[in-house]
Amino acid sequence: MPGARLDRILARLADSDLVASARLCAMCAEATEMSGAGIMLMSGDLPQGSVCTTDAVSLLIEDLQYTLGEGPCVDAYQHDRPVLEPDLAAPITNRWVAFTPPAVEAGVRAVFGFPLSVGAARLGALNLHRDRPGQLTADQHTDALVMAGLAARAVIAMQADAPPGAIGVELADGADFQFVGHQAAGMVSVQLGVSVADALIRLRAHAFQQDRRFADVARDVVGRRLRLTDDADRPT
Amino acid sequence: MSREAMLTRTLVELADTLVDDFDIVELLTTLSDRCLEVLDVSAAGIMLVAPEGDLRVMTSSSEVMRVVELFELQSQEGPCLDCYRTGRPVVNQDLSVVNSRWPRFAPVALEAGYRAADAIPLRLRSNIIGALNLFRSEPGSLTEDDVVVAQALADVATIAILQHRASEQAQVVNDQLNQALNSRIIIEQAKGMIAEQGGLDMQEAFSRLRRHARSSNLRLVDVATEVVEGVLSVGAFRG
Repeated sequence: MPGARLDRILARLADSDLVASARLCAMCAEATEMSGAGIMLMSGDLPQGSVCTTDAVSLLIEDLQYTLGEGPCVDAYQHDRPVLEPDLAAPITNRWVAFTPPAVEAGVRAVFGFPLSVGAARLGALNLHRDRPGQLTADQHTDALVMAGLAARAVIAMQADAPPGAIGVELADGADFQFVGHQAAGMVSVQLGVSVADALIRLRAHAFQQDRRFADVARDVVGRRLRLTDDADRPT
Repeated sequence: MSREAMLTRTLVELADTLVDDFDIVELLTTLSDRCLEVLDVSAAGIMLVAPEGDLRVMTSSSEVMRVVELFELQSQEGPCLDCYRTGRPVVNQDLSVVNSRWPRFAPVALEAGYRAADAIPLRLRSNIIGALNLFRSEPGSLTEDDVVVAQALADVATIAILQHRASEQAQVVNDQLNQALNSRIIIEQAKGMIAEQGGLDMQEAFSRLRRHARSSNLRLVDVATEVVEGVLSVGAFRG
């Protein structure tokens, strides 16, 4: 890693205006010279939420994957290997039909997912994005692997001292685990007389159909500005 | 097979066991078995320090050796303990002349048929995690090369064990994180159900959920799970 980049990373590390997890995401983006980065936790093949995101675009990338259950992080976690899309606007194979259009519209031109793991423990994936297309250089690829390993250890370290049943304070601070979305799912399940799992699917489908962020839809439901009706939001 | 070939094969074999979820006992058994071939010793065994701080016998290539090793631990003296305490190899100890060094251990080892003992530390920098014991039934000495080879095998095992422990620890923490996250998710879902049913805000829904948990002496997450699974009717939280 060139010295100048290392200096910038160390500066991020010392930036006390950011919470620990936000510093981590900023460092991942700096180290790999990307536009932004996000760290997604996964469990049972589904996104559980974001530890951190560096900017609005990386937040959108995480939100889309959470809503749709597809994208570079989901694939990186499921296949336990890096997933590289150097030209999202003109991919060789269009593997994420729902994820790609809104991501491209937001200005994403390249996305890369790197699995987050410590030994056999698989935590999720590091998401990197850039506003112009192009392959990662060999150095960037190596640095991304190093940062993913570091991020995985940092997540474990942030959770290690938490009391049983609790999420580590540093981890919860700045993370987005879509709790409002789960409140909304509870409400929708009563409204429609369906299971909470089904209600969650309905909410995700609604967000996708209306081209809205899942979190915004959830907030409207909880704020009682939106009620899902039985027919209009049935997934097709 | 030449010694170089045997050693290469052993290192490859050890590396092969280092998959993500390898079994430590299997690795240590392989290591002690291969020591017999590569080093021309009669018995090989490994002791590791337990989290409580005391040494435990992990593997022994023979039952006789195991008994001697257990006696060594019981009597708190012997080559393995000296090696572990100092972090340095203890080699070429003729048991019939070092009677004074280990007055209790040496007679027992001699009685079991061993004439010489060596111990190699399992050590990474300042972290000493155990020792590799080598017993020989003929007097004689390990060459300098033998000691280098034994230390190399011990080093491979040490790194494997330390990595495995870090990985296991991470797995436990990751499981705890997922469990904590799931509990929280279920509580949020139950809050949503109670809020919708009673026309309440989330704060009030949470208060009622908590009140119910306290009065029925249940954990919050257990009550929430019953609500989400429909075992407990949301109507129970009215007023």
